[in-house]
Amino acid sequence: MSGSDLVFYILALMTLCFGVLTVTSRQIFRAAVYLLFCLLGVAGIYFWLNYQFLAAVQIVVYAGGIVVLILFSIFLTQQSGEKLPVPAVSRKFFSALAAFCALALVLVSVFRFSFAESGKRSALVSMSQIGEKMLSPGEGGYALPFEVISVLLLAALIGCIVIAIKTKPDAR
Amino acid sequence: MGVIRYLRDIWRGAVSLARGMRRTLYYFLRPKEIITQQYPDNRLTLNLPERFKGEVVMPHNENNEHRCTGCQACELACPNGSLKVIYKYEITAEGKKKKAIDKLVYHLELCTMCNLCIEACPSDAIKMAQTFEHSVFDRSQLIKILNKPGSKIMEGVE
Amino acid sequence: MWSFQQAAQQIHEWLSERMSAGWALALEMVLAGLMAIGLFAMLGLILVLMERKVSARMQVRLGPNRVGPKGMLQTAADTLKLLLKEGLTPDGADKWLFHAAPIMAIVVSMLLLAPIAFAMDFQLWDVNIGVLYVSAMSSLMVISILMAGWASNSKYSLLGAMRSGAQIVSYELSAGLSVLTVVTLTGSLQISEIIRSQADGWWIFKGHVPVWIAFVIFIIAITAETNRAPFDLAEAESELTAGFHTEYSGIKFALFFLAEYINVFVLCGIGATLFLGGPMPFHIGSWEGLNRIMDWIPSSVWFFGKTFLLIFVIMWFRWTFPRLRIDQLLNLEWKYLLPLGMVNVLLAALIAIKGWHF
Ligand code: SF4
Ligand code: SF4
Repeated sequence: MSGSDLVFYILALMTLCFGVLTVTSRQIFRAAVYLLFCLLGVAGIYFWLNYQFLAAVQIVVYAGGIVVLILFSIFLTQQSGEKLPVPAVSRKFFSALAAFCALALVLVSVFRFSFAESGKRSALVSMSQIGEKMLSPGEGGYALPFEVISVLLLAALIGCIVIAIKTKPDAR
Repeated sequence: MGVIRYLRDIWRGAVSLARGMRRTLYYFLRPKEIITQQYPDNRLTLNLPERFKGEVVMPHNENNEHRCTGCQACELACPNGSLKVIYKYEITAEGKKKKAIDKLVYHLELCTMCNLCIEACPSDAIKMAQTFEHSVFDRSQLIKILNKPGSKIMEGVE
Repeated sequence: MWSFQQAAQQIHEWLSERMSAGWALALEMVLAGLMAIGLFAMLGLILVLMERKVSARMQVRLGPNRVGPKGMLQTAADTLKLLLKEGLTPDGADKWLFHAAPIMAIVVSMLLLAPIAFAMDFQLWDVNIGVLYVSAMSSLMVISILMAGWASNSKYSLLGAMRSGAQIVSYELSAGLSVLTVVTLTGSLQISEIIRSQADGWWIFKGHVPVWIAFVIFIIAITAETNRAPFDLAEAESELTAGFHTEYSGIKFALFFLAEYINVFVLCGIGATLFLGGPMPFHIGSWEGLNRIMDWIPSSVWFFGKTFLLIFVIMWFRWTFPRLRIDQLLNLEWKYLLPLGMVNVLLAALIAIKGWHF
């Protein structure tokens, strides 16, 4: 086993362990921190694959953004040092079932696809290539999804403002 | 116009911040301005500021005379009772009774160096000294009698 | 002439002659790690001493002057004291997170160090998304603060952590936008590429107006991101005792303290690289004579000189301005810096397209 493989197995093990800990921990803040490490493990695998852009985005969006938001909402809603109640058996069963279904779906699609070996090492994708693909309207371009998502985000933004806006007492 | 006001606010903020930063840079570049006294290294050359106040004293002249009339104004002025005037009556040459101090007791351990007694004194009998090494092993030593033994009032002070 | 790059090259050759490539790489990693730790310790000592001296001079005081010549060993003595102190864990704290938080803080600072170019062609990892990598890693800084605040089971820590969360998350945007200005002009995220693009003049001179605005916004944003006064609400001594690290003592406190100063160093280093050319000497277009003379000064001296200049500016802020309130802080970001930054990026794009920069 080469050093590179070793790094992969360490990262994979870290991701899986923290993933399991996330769902089994009964302290909600700890669960969120385990989730953070799980996501960082995934980012590590992206780095290992030499796909640095995705890795950095993974860290910015998930670790630095989503997890911080989760931690923040825990700050605002939970009491420090309290444990969550043990969930009912039926709930455990159904969530395990849902997780299993998702796993099966992923595995089926992975095994169905025959990965042809291209023979060449994964090439580094430069930033300008990513940028051009992202905004090109032509073949294989992502201009349309990009715009659709931006409209969605704009809608979400406006929704937030509407919810957060102060209504004057005499406005009613 | 909203936009112009917005930009002007930013400009004004920047200018006022720059003014503050210029002041600190001024001091940063001039080590001569440093006012720290490295006591006790420079005990002999210590340079105390003019308004530094150490304790209340009563100056006496060479004939062991002071200017205190025993009027008790300082005692009344002191906010924390650090001064106590113990007075007596003297018979003057014309046979009149006249108030004079026996002792002016000063509690250094209570004094806050507020200077109110000095300002209250009508005959400038007391003033602030700049001595400050007051530590002693027994606090009763901090109770001082300001007029020297055997001293009397200066001629002509009413 | 001796340079960091040649030294690294020689070590690499020496190692490759004696062992297989894999072992040489492993050994080089260990060496780099040791050097990083050494740099950390040095920086911690120097920056803390510098801060104390600068603050003293600005406040017309003398500062530390007893331990060692001119007080130079004061921080070393303080560090020794901190290391020997007992590390207390408060009752009811979440032990695991409480111990993990300072380690997390220091690991994030270490990761931030990777793409910094300390001298010409002397980098640990010249990743092709350099600048993005730094923003990504610095967005992790807040997590150790949140962890510490929650795990300490103390009101002060919790409040400090909440404040710093809101603060770092919002100021990250401004820092990102101002970095983007230079990236637009350079057309690359790679640190070495950005440095090379400044061979004929630093961006602060070549890029004129948009880069000036971006520079000011960047300095403000990194002051906020590193939780330093006037944005030190997260650890406001007079309101929250020490904010998120109230309950920490001994070596764990030292780690937090060190991480703060390393972050200041790294972010100032990034600022120096983006706007002031990093290790690139002062060059003016095609003035060969001047450029030759400037090249004579080693690039590492240029890098550290510029970085310490920026660090000095940040210290200067700290000892001049009073602390902001949380609403003023968020107003400054969302109503002033962010809109300005956005307009500025558009301006920079226009200038880059039209080629109006020098
Ligand atoms: S200085 Fe102030 S406190 Fe001291 S004796 Fe005079 S009045 Fe009292
Ligand atoms: S010191 Fe002054 S105020 Fe006090 S009793 Fe003497 S004359 Fe009066």
